[in-house]
Amino acid sequence: MTTSHEEQHGRHPSFRQYVLVATILFLITIVEFVLIWPRANIVDELGASKIPLLVGLSAIKFAIVIMFYMHLKFESWLFSGVFLAGLALAFAVGIAVLALFVALDGGPRDFAEANRVAFEHGEDESTSSEAGATESTGQAGETGTGTSSAEAVTPQAETAVTQTAPAAAGPFTLDITTEGDALTFSTGTLTAQAGAEVVLTFNNVSAVNQHNWVLVNAGEKDAVATDGTAAGPGNGWLKPDDPRVIANTALLDPGATGEVQFTAPEAGTYQFVCTFPGHNFTMFGDFQVNP
Amino acid sequence: MAHAAEHEYTTTGLNHRKLLMWVFLGSDCLFFASLIATYMVYRGQSLNGPYPADIIDVPITTISTFVLLMSSFAMVQALAATNANNQRGIRIWLLATAILGSIFIAFQVYEFNAFKNEGLTLGTNLFGATFFTLTGFHGAHVTLGIVWLVALLILGMKGRLGPATALDVELAGLYWHFVDIVWIIIFTLLYLIAGFDAGPAPPVG
Repeated sequence: MTTSHEEQHGRHPSFRQYVLVATILFLITIVEFVLIWPRANIVDELGASKIPLLVGLSAIKFAIVIMFYMHLKFESWLFSGVFLAGLALAFAVGIAVLALFVALDGGPRDFAEANRVAFEHGEDESTSSEAGATESTGQAGETGTGTSSAEAVTPQAETAVTQTAPAAAGPFTLDITTEGDALTFSTGTLTAQAGAEVVLTFNNVSAVNQHNWVLVNAGEKDAVATDGTAAGPGNGWLKPDDPRVIANTALLDPGATGEVQFTAPEAGTYQFVCTFPGHNFTMFGDFQVNP
Repeated sequence: MAHAAEHEYTTTGLNHRKLLMWVFLGSDCLFFASLIATYMVYRGQSLNGPYPADIIDVPITTISTFVLLMSSFAMVQALAATNANNQRGIRIWLLATAILGSIFIAFQVYEFNAFKNEGLTLGTNLFGATFFTLTGFHGAHVTLGIVWLVALLILGMKGRLGPATALDVELAGLYWHFVDIVWIIIFTLLYLIAGFDAGPAPPVG
């Protein structure tokens, strides 16, 4: 039965040919894996040439499957024609999309940074729309480029400095980090003297998450974080000119360190919090200001 | 004697069901090309993690790729058995194809779940959005293929598949192999090439 049928359909490969095809596909996949697996120590030597190599190998697999498993090699040219026309159009679509968004403008992130519009809140417009625009632009720049390490003092904090009394006890340094990748600060309490000039250094040691350090009035951490979420990543997850914010670092990328200088407010208990969406529920602490 | 369906008269001289399937597969290339291009445009543009290097498991996915390749082999055997009117072979190979396809989907469910536990969802970042959309739509194609194979298997159990109805198996096979070649591309681009992408380098100091 099988033999007679194969004579009838000489165009289909035999069992042994199918096994051969499956073996070739299997071996190519193994070669691909070995090429990129770091422990095989081949990927570093390949460098950038790994991409054409891998694309070429997968193109071979692609061709083998459509020619033998899908019998295109043995079928009418019309079947190949309609499929390859679709495939060619698909390539054209892919190249057009990549050309539009990557080759011409350097990527969506660059494009967004080059064309960003400052975020403005309706309530702030009457008093400080110009200042608000400048500040949010500055914040967005620091966040977007990921270079918020050395001078992460935001305009909001500077405003706070000018509004309060001069330093009474000289510069006073505070250090805080994250608990590794966990969504908590390394300490739950920070203390300062009222009116002291405080320099706080926040080292985001997380390998995964972005964080900021924001000092707010007691009991307002969640409200500030909610408005920060609405303000979006362009504003570093912080509403521009939020009057409840006393001081804040920029939004720090994993591994980055930020610094903020401010004058400790009048004696009392305040809160510090990370306003990255969702972090405020676990990532906060008390800021104790002694008289 | 057999193959009446394949030899009916058409204006192209070709079976129109098969032609339609090839037209559909050609158009489905456009669908996946759009999603793949979107992934490549947003590659490396995520502002926060997890990034591919943090969570993509290349060895596990290499295994699931093997499974899908082997399912294509089982599919051609199912068609060969149908042409040869080998009833036992039809059932065994269709079942094997459906099971191998289900194992692939099981790997994907495991992967999606693991990613979710690592904090990557559709809404986490551009990587999550484009990754889940592309691989999710591929998984949906595979799932549809499994349903199709099971339907054929039921027909096979009733003894209604054979040389006269071989085209029914062949069309399912074309669809199944297409899903396989789409995965060949996704595996190369998203796992082998982009799977080791780390996030933006942390600033010095």
